Amino acid sequence: MPFTTSRPFHQIFTNVLKRFSQRNLRPSSTLTNLQPKPITNTLHSSYLQTTQSGFRYALLAGGISFSVALAGILHATRDKSRTPPLIDIPAKSNTTSNSPDFPGAIGALLQEFHERSIVSTDPQELYAYAQSSYSQTPGLPHTVVVHVQSTEDVVKVVNISRKHLVPIVPYSGGTSLEGNLSAPCSGSICVDLSGMDKILAINESDADVVCQAGVTWNDLNETLREKGIPLFFPLDPGRDATIGGMISTGCSGTNAVKYGTARGEWILNATVVLPSGEVIKTRQRARKSSAGFDLTKLFIGAEGTLGIVTEATLRLAPLLPTRVAVVQFPDVWRATNAVCDILNQGVAMQCVEIIDELGIKTLNAFGTSDKVWPEKVTLFFKFQGAEDVIRNNSNLTAKVMAQHEASDYRLAENEEEGELIWQDRRNALFAGLAYLPGCKGWITDVCVPVSRLPDLIHAAKKDFEELGLVAPIAGHVGDGNFHALVLYRDEAELVLVREAVSRINRKAIELEGTCTGEHGVGTGKREYLLSELGQGTVSLMRMIKQTIDPHNLFNPGKLYPEPVLASPSSPTVVSSM
Amino acid sequence: MYDPKMTTAFDDNHDNDTSKSDEPFLVMDLEVVQCQVSPTIPSQIGHPAPETLFNINVDGLRVRTECKSFTYGTPQDVKKAIEELRQTFPQSRVSTDPDVLHLHGSSENSYHPSSPHSVVVQASSTEDVVKVVNISRKYRVPIIPYSGATSLEGHFNGHSSGSICLDMSTMDKILEINEADGDLTCQAGARWEDINSTLTEKGIPLFFPLDPGPGATIGGMVGTGCSGTNAVRYGTAKAEWFLNLTVVLPSGKVIKTRRRARKSAAGFDTTKLFIGAEGTLGIITEATLRLTTRVPTKVAMAQFPNVEMAVNAVNDILKTPYGPHIQCAELLDDNMMSAINAAGLVDRPYPVQDTLFFKLQGSPESIMETSRTVQEIANKYGSSRFEFASTDEEAEEIWQNRKYALMSTLGAHPGTKCWTTDVCVPTSKLPRLVYETKADLAKAGLKYTIVGHVGDGNFHALILFSDEKELEVVNAAVHRLVHRAIAMDGTCSGEHGVGIGKTEYLVEELGEGTVELMKTVKCAVDPLNLLNPGKLYPQNHPNHRRHDS
Repeated sequence: MPFTTSRPFHQIFTNVLKRFSQRNLRPSSTLTNLQPKPITNTLHSSYLQTTQSGFRYALLAGGISFSVALAGILHATRDKSRTPPLIDIPAKSNTTSNSPDFPGAIGALLQEFHERSIVSTDPQELYAYAQSSYSQTPGLPHTVVVHVQSTEDVVKVVNISRKHLVPIVPYSGGTSLEGNLSAPCSGSICVDLSGMDKILAINESDADVVCQAGVTWNDLNETLREKGIPLFFPLDPGRDATIGGMISTGCSGTNAVKYGTARGEWILNATVVLPSGEVIKTRQRARKSSAGFDLTKLFIGAEGTLGIVTEATLRLAPLLPTRVAVVQFPDVWRATNAVCDILNQGVAMQCVEIIDELGIKTLNAFGTSDKVWPEKVTLFFKFQGAEDVIRNNSNLTAKVMAQHEASDYRLAENEEEGELIWQDRRNALFAGLAYLPGCKGWITDVCVPVSRLPDLIHAAKKDFEELGLVAPIAGHVGDGNFHALVLYRDEAELVLVREAVSRINRKAIELEGTCTGEHGVGTGKREYLLSELGQGTVSLMRMIKQTIDPHNLFNPGKLYPEPVLASPSSPTVVSSM
Repeated sequence: MYDPKMTTAFDDNHDNDTSKSDEPFLVMDLEVVQCQVSPTIPSQIGHPAPETLFNINVDGLRVRTECKSFTYGTPQDVKKAIEELRQTFPQSRVSTDPDVLHLHGSSENSYHPSSPHSVVVQASSTEDVVKVVNISRKYRVPIIPYSGATSLEGHFNGHSSGSICLDMSTMDKILEINEADGDLTCQAGARWEDINSTLTEKGIPLFFPLDPGPGATIGGMVGTGCSGTNAVRYGTAKAEWFLNLTVVLPSGKVIKTRRRARKSAAGFDTTKLFIGAEGTLGIITEATLRLTTRVPTKVAMAQFPNVEMAVNAVNDILKTPYGPHIQCAELLDDNMMSAINAAGLVDRPYPVQDTLFFKLQGSPESIMETSRTVQEIANKYGSSRFEFASTDEEAEEIWQNRKYALMSTLGAHPGTKCWTTDVCVPTSKLPRLVYETKADLAKAGLKYTIVGHVGDGNFHALILFSDEKELEVVNAAVHRLVHRAIAMDGTCSGEHGVGIGKTEYLVEELGEGTVELMKTVKCAVDPLNLLNPGKLYPQNHPNHRRHDS
């Protein structure tokens, strides 16, 4: 495809990105850059968030479509926009008992939920609720969206879905990266849980909190701060991710070095609506329990395929003083080796992040930082604890770093300076996207045992070079997890990106790692699951899915790999997953 | 395209299976799957379990997923199974010696009804386990896995239909230590203490922080979802200490649940399915454990006027910047302190008061600072005395007293036996629970001591009894205690597991739906209910025996 860049648009767009990143306004809400291409059909049209609160979207016509995905788009879509339908809903006429009966389901939903604003078939909403702020591939639109307000609402929708054999796709934060929100080809009911955003109880003395699935982690922490409660929820995936989505993805973030992931003990219990319509609460509120295997964990990382999480009790951690430090290295190899070294010395580290030299270059070009970084591989540390502990740890870290030919080790003077430095780490993604005019970015998410990380990053960089791709790297090196933002501008480059991503994923699995450290499987990584987990484990997962959701109505087409038929003549057929 | 009329199966259920051709594992017919529980042998996992969950009517199409019918083997089948085991394994690894059977089927530490096993087989590899599982399935003889034998809830008691005890204790090798990655792969029979001493011997500055009772093995620790005194700092087995497990499923299939990365978002983690499953879903043969840096520790001790003050002090300490330096915070009540004195294990008697034992970790400087903080807060909560063990010997001595709480309790009351409870509640409710329990036990005229992991809201009442009559009283008191804990949003078991002893509380604690889902998972994974039957899942008999009836 002929490729041209519209420079003025690019500049405008970069400015928008900068504004988001500086003001910290849903910074996650912009991922892709200007993508000039001829309009072929309206499906590729998308939305632009122009204001933070009011939220309107603009349909851009005239040969340019902004593939800017937007967190929060959905609340706004409820005030009906006047724009014409963007897509056609395929008519479902044949309604036998074996195929989804959409008209029946929509009729039942409208009857069940009298308020018209709760059930929507507005094509814009149907499209918007299938998209994610981060995802590159447009999701297929849903058939109907239901803005649920309570667990009971979810039960009603689930019962209708089952009666009419219509798939359900849950939605809350809209920050998923792996196409988890897309409708299946057949169409679907989207259950929008983002309105279930209440904090139900804060038990300060027990250090836990009960909240609905649509609460975002940053709002939760903000609420705790406002109330003067010295506790916080330490899982920190992309901004505006919600508790429901975080559980379903098995998320983590920069704090994972110290606090682990959603698979640890942060989710004390979850209230879940099962495909049968039954509501279960997986545990009580004690911090630990050996009362059998923990069903909470069954829903962590299940990506909404086994049940819809509506409420959860979260363990909180004491808020501790933190301090940021940075150090630079001549290459990724030395930097990652230094990380392995320091981690095994028992230093109390909350975060260990890396940005490679290219990432630093994009940051400098982005221009939001108050300083120009030397274009070297940079490690960002967050120490925590009392002042004397931080000092000691910092001294030890400086010493170890020096052994690996590091330069310019600096412990931030105070929290403010630390915040400024950390902001640069946070902006790495946006800086990367703004680097090449008119580009999109594909984010990889491999994770390996930490000692293998140098090998993996080395191999990845070699692949990018070989394929001629620009791919700044930022990552949670403390866990052995890193993200390469592989940039592409057209279909031809996208083909190369797919090749590179496939190589990285396979390499990671070969190094005893995973294709996904924290973003989940969704539609994008199902093909890697078999080689990563093995046939037996995947079969076990599938069997559990089949047992709990025999109709395969909960988020079908996600997570589980396409089943392989034993033989064409086999009398048994594997149902589509 | 989805079609609910399709017969579903899984891609792997036709290969790999060397056993009988009528093997029903994994085959589920969504349309018609009958579930009959043998009329002669009561189902341990409860018959209509899945029916309640999947009682789905779709346009007149009734869809149910249930267990296939099954019966356990007859005594004749059990004999045949033993015969085949003898043919498969060397003589020395298969035993039907009554003493051996008894030893493997009952525990000194629990008082649950027990049947001896029919045969004990020692496995030496994952392949051995597969063979035993296949023989078990062939003759429909239940398997009870066994390794450390430190369980408190009757987990390895034999089954009345006759059972194969699968002894994993000789599979105790450490297979690989990846120092740079901070992980280690070992067999299920390895003991946590041996793992840690091996690491020390090799000069590797790492350790595995889960510390249940002495002698516990990795397999049992996974099965129980264990924890110990270190849980304040490091959490429990349900956290992220098990990177992956190698498991033999009831089908005989071997799976490895994950690879070795520290984190992975590749779907729900099947590792967690086996943690706390008490051997009912699969038999763990190997595991990769995450290790953590060994940090120098010191021990301190503070006396408090009452439990509430002690608990509040711990909560406050954990919220200070020095909170992460608290590795353990253990409560020993006045009775326990008195028992330690009486057992004569200490040079000089301790004050008979509710006491907190702390293990502090970090560099020498940060330990000093932490100790100062602890003392300050302890004073604030009326602590009369604070003692910091300046030397390692002193620290060791103090900690020994916590470690041997059970022995001290028994030693102070010669001729008695001891029932260990294990409730856990949200930490703020712990003081009230301890008070009410102390009052209740006193009223019942029972002797007891209390030790608790206060940082987690978990405590053990060690209740003493000397005869059957007293045991009945203890039984009733334990029952009341568990109900009290569950009513406080807590659990019947903080770390010991359910086993036989606590199945009756599960519905009350987790709710019917949750328990049904657990049973459904069990039913799907082990449709013949051959793995450790009678444990964990409550039976569906409405009139099952209750302790207080």
